Amino acid sequence: MDEPHDKLLVRKIEQGTVIDHIPAWKSELVLRVLRLDRFGRRSADVSVAILENVSSKLLGKKDVVKVDRWRVDEKEADLVCLIFPTVTVNYINSWKVTKYSPRVPDKIEGRIRCPELSCISNAPREPLTPRFLTLKEERSLQCAYCDTLFDFDRIPDYVMA
Amino acid sequence: MNESDFVGRDVVSIWDFSREELEFIFDRTSEIEKSGSPRTLEGKLVALLFYEPSTRTHSTFEVAAQRLGCATTGFSAPDKSSVAKGETLHDTIRMYEGYGADCIVVRHNLMGASRFAAEVASVPLISGGDGSREHPTQAMVDLYAMRKTFGKIDGLRVGILGDLKYGRTASSLCYGLSNYDVEISLIAPDLLAARKETLAALAKKGVKVRSTSDVKDVLGSLDVLYVTRIQKERIPDPTEYERVRGLYKVDLELLRQGKKGLKVMHPLPRLDELANEIDGTEYAGYFTQAAAGVPLRMALLRMVVS
Repeated sequence: MDEPHDKLLVRKIEQGTVIDHIPAWKSELVLRVLRLDRFGRRSADVSVAILENVSSKLLGKKDVVKVDRWRVDEKEADLVCLIFPTVTVNYINSWKVTKYSPRVPDKIEGRIRCPELSCISNAPREPLTPRFLTLKEERSLQCAYCDTLFDFDRIPDYVMA
Repeated sequence: MNESDFVGRDVVSIWDFSREELEFIFDRTSEIEKSGSPRTLEGKLVALLFYEPSTRTHSTFEVAAQRLGCATTGFSAPDKSSVAKGETLHDTIRMYEGYGADCIVVRHNLMGASRFAAEVASVPLISGGDGSREHPTQAMVDLYAMRKTFGKIDGLRVGILGDLKYGRTASSLCYGLSNYDVEISLIAPDLLAARKETLAALAKKGVKVRSTSDVKDVLGSLDVLYVTRIQKERIPDPTEYERVRGLYKVDLELLRQGKKGLKVMHPLPRLDELANEIDGTEYAGYFTQAAAGVPLRMALLRMVVS
């Protein structure tokens, strides 16, 4: 949140998470990765503010997602940062801001499914957790079971419900 | 290196084996071919769980196990087992382990099924091929047949023709060849061109690869022309199959344009991509290749089963 007029749009939060520096108009993909729609289903006491296409010194224009009263899981934050390397994550605790330094994990377990429908990891009822290796230079994930490669950009399409 | 180094190993991908290990397996295969093998696995049990049809792979594992003194169990038609009732691969593996299987061989239609089965099984798991990804023991057979025919694999120019998109033997052979100093030509109609995963893996290993849709572009330089059939059963769209059907055929007229000593290999079964007229000629290497399946799988079973 690096420009004053954001403050006019959304108030500061006391507790929660701010996902900042999302490329403009991409917040929907971030929400999909964070699976924030699950709060709706659970009627949790969580509010989500989405700012789209606001000014940014760093990006020109950006999106911001503020999640009030919820600490976004660090592994999910890492996943968002895989897709959008510009993203920054701030955890807010009693108004105090702590910057999270995302890690590029060597592997990702669960959370996403393999795009290859004929992969054993998509077989119904098999007790297995999808697993992917992170190929950092290629900006791709590779399924540990069937070796299917897919770009980080496609991760939102395969986030598990 | 000795045979006991392999005890308990899974054979899920040919990537899991170094060149040195492959050569060691081929040396044991060669010994078995010449002198047979003692029945070192008397009293052992191998489960053959074949979720897809198979002639060569199933039979050669069965014969290999029997020649080593091993009993076999399992199924080759899932529609006649509890799989038809919806039993998971996980449960089936656990069940056969419970029956005392000392090694499990799995062929499955789903990609990565062997790797998952290996994670479930506490005994060695050998892939008999899964989905359109890998068929590691076939690749070992193919490499062994090349080494036997030419004396060595280094220096060979290998053309792999056919269905490189859905054919698991083609990708496993590429990966196996990447351990050697070879030149690979990938020859396929555009719709059946090699997957990006295969190309990326070969590029990572620094293998010299040439891609073309016309076998005549490379035929004159090849030592081996490895022909594969179109995997009709794996092509999701029937219209896609109709578009590629009959797009390539290898016959004597074509082979005469190749260089002297050219050998044709094929993992079999063949459909109409490989003419029968080649069978009795010096080009035909595929029946010798198929025969290597028994000694190679004997060597593998002997090494991984304690």
